Amino acid sequence: MSRPRVNPTLKRKRPETDSPDLVDAERAILNSIKSRKDLGIWARDIKQDTKLADHVVNKSLKSLLTKNLIKEVVNIQNKGKKHYMAVEFEPSKEISGGEWYVDGNLDKELINVLKQLCFRFLRTQKVATLEGVCNELKKNRVVTFDISNQQVSEILNSMVLDNDLIEVKSTGLGDYHSIPIGTICYRIASAAGVAKGPRMGAFASIPCGACPRISLCMPNGVISPTTCVYYTKWLNIDF
Amino acid sequence: MVSPHGVQLATHLISSFYGDLCSKVCECLLRRGTLTLAQIIRFTELSRENVINCLRVLIHQNCVQAFAIQQEGAFGEAPRVITQYMALFDNMIHKMRAPKFMQIVSEELGKDVGSSDVDVVRESFNRLLIARFIERCPAPEPFLAPPADGETPAKKRAAKSAKIGEERQTTEQRALAAAAPMESMRFLMEMDGLSEEKSEECTNSVTVGEKRKQDVLKSDEDVLNADKKKEVLWRVNFEELVRRLRHKACISYVKTRINDEAAIVLSAMLELSRHSETRQKAENSAYLSINAIYDEVIKKEGGLGMDFERIRVSLEQLGCQCLETGIDESYSIDIKGIIETSQTEEMESVVLRRYGREAYRIFRLLSKAGRFLETDKISDTTFVEKKDTTKILYKLWKDDYLHMEKVMTSGAKQSLFLLWRINKEPLREHVLDEMYHAALNLRLRIAHEQDKGKEVLQLPREKLVGELEKRYKLLGKVRVILESSLMNLDEAIMLFHDF
Repeated sequence: MSRPRVNPTLKRKRPETDSPDLVDAERAILNSIKSRKDLGIWARDIKQDTKLADHVVNKSLKSLLTKNLIKEVVNIQNKGKKHYMAVEFEPSKEISGGEWYVDGNLDKELINVLKQLCFRFLRTQKVATLEGVCNELKKNRVVTFDISNQQVSEILNSMVLDNDLIEVKSTGLGDYHSIPIGTICYRIASAAGVAKGPRMGAFASIPCGACPRISLCMPNGVISPTTCVYYTKWLNIDF
Repeated sequence: MVSPHGVQLATHLISSFYGDLCSKVCECLLRRGTLTLAQIIRFTELSRENVINCLRVLIHQNCVQAFAIQQEGAFGEAPRVITQYMALFDNMIHKMRAPKFMQIVSEELGKDVGSSDVDVVRESFNRLLIARFIERCPAPEPFLAPPADGETPAKKRAAKSAKIGEERQTTEQRALAAAAPMESMRFLMEMDGLSEEKSEECTNSVTVGEKRKQDVLKSDEDVLNADKKKEVLWRVNFEELVRRLRHKACISYVKTRINDEAAIVLSAMLELSRHSETRQKAENSAYLSINAIYDEVIKKEGGLGMDFERIRVSLEQLGCQCLETGIDESYSIDIKGIIETSQTEEMESVVLRRYGREAYRIFRLLSKAGRFLETDKISDTTFVEKKDTTKILYKLWKDDYLHMEKVMTSGAKQSLFLLWRINKEPLREHVLDEMYHAALNLRLRIAHEQDKGKEVLQLPREKLVGELEKRYKLLGKVRVILESSLMNLDEAIMLFHDF
């Protein structure tokens, strides 16, 4: 029986820790991590899974990291807790947050840049389909990597939610003459073609509409209309 | 039942106009529902005389409707007829809209110069009647016939106790229907002279600001007295005035949301279909031919230059339903759709202002989805950080803007999922209640500011110099802000309740 080949990437074990259990421990922990594939695993779950002592697990993790068998990833569900994954896997959408997340945070800069590009394009075009916007972005080359149609669609949808754009169906007439009837298109929300954003409603224009304490307010209460500081501030406005 | 702040606002209005005693009776009826005189006396702890006087005032001012109903006798006694009183919440709130109503009338019929000449008054009366701004008063105490014969008393009692809440609602609706004059009589003027039979509300809507006090008060006892000559009484037709305001609101919405031309076309369609609107809140206009629409459009200001093609483009933009039968081309507008979209925008505006832009996106997503969405899905679609999404959703849920359900998945690993949705009808009621609250707050603040500055306001003109003049001007500015805000807010209230 030949001895198993020693992996040259493994560091020489230090004499004081040189016990069969540690290597087994590392293997057990590595297996536990690998079993979670692209979801990764939290340190405490490793301890529960392998039933090993804390200090053993911690040391093994450090060792595995150094040996480049595992990596640390950020779990957006819980950024404070350390999450580990085998190197051969990429974090799934569930823990990375998806294409729009970088290091556990939303890539707001990228999102804003894309939104601006879409908006500028629609200002000149009056109306455009998803395909039209995608082609324009690819032509533009402001972003150096590929943006999928799905991602552009997500950006446009979020602009619709912001009321910067409206989603309409082509009628084939007027502005839509070159677009097949029934196709979903986008246009700038306001009639003038310049997005003024959502209109301020009557209720929202007064302090009560914006007030987070309206449910506590009553005529002779601690919070009341006659003593309200929001009202006082509002009424002191100089035109 | 009326919402809590609706009751407070109505009570406050009645108190401002008719005093605290009337407001006590009014509050009692609004909180407890339809009651008899004895019950009102017991609950308000006022004297019988006071309650009767208050009821007279409230009935006269169309804030209360009386009706007679047969009550089963207990222990073998014969059934007897009792009088019950119900609060007319809408009419109480209309009290704060008098300037708005008067403006509609003066826009359509012009302003009266305030002449007291009988012929001029009669002419004004006729014009108001033709425009349907006034109508015959409802019967002061209609009798509601008991349910159909043939049912045993035991059956009746069982049915009654089984759905007592439902029956109450039906009784009140029956009372209003029984009190209302027949449609053919409603706008019919009696031929044998009527100058002495006008009620307080009638011609005042033309003479802006003037209130003519006429003593046509009727006591309940008088009403029951069959020997007394039945005089025709007239009152403001709120239904017509509200319809005009509803149309105005739709046109204004379309003007800002689409363009002026679409607003002109809508205005023409609403004008044409107004007379065929039988329901208070008509959902769709009648189908109107393109020719009729064209004829009406060119009469409107700014509509003269419009041709059929431009009208068709506007009709398309308005989302009108088209009906083509042979050579005829007819269109109908979805009025309810415009109202609902306006309501949604008003609610979204509050969410934006109160909770911020990210909450606005989340709210709009849930509003459009119309179903449960999970937290992560919301976060992904709205580009809000996952941890912030949960915080915002909780805040909205705590303030009753959202409905939430927890789902626990079973299995090896238990996960808790939170699902969120908007329930449109309860949300609308909740926002309306907040608006009543805000309207009350504005009124209280107006009164407070006036009271605070009464010393300055009471000074003669010549004494208003320097600091005092500044203070006087500031008081004026404050009053304008508060009152114009109240008028604007009232439009939103009508959008949610009356339109």
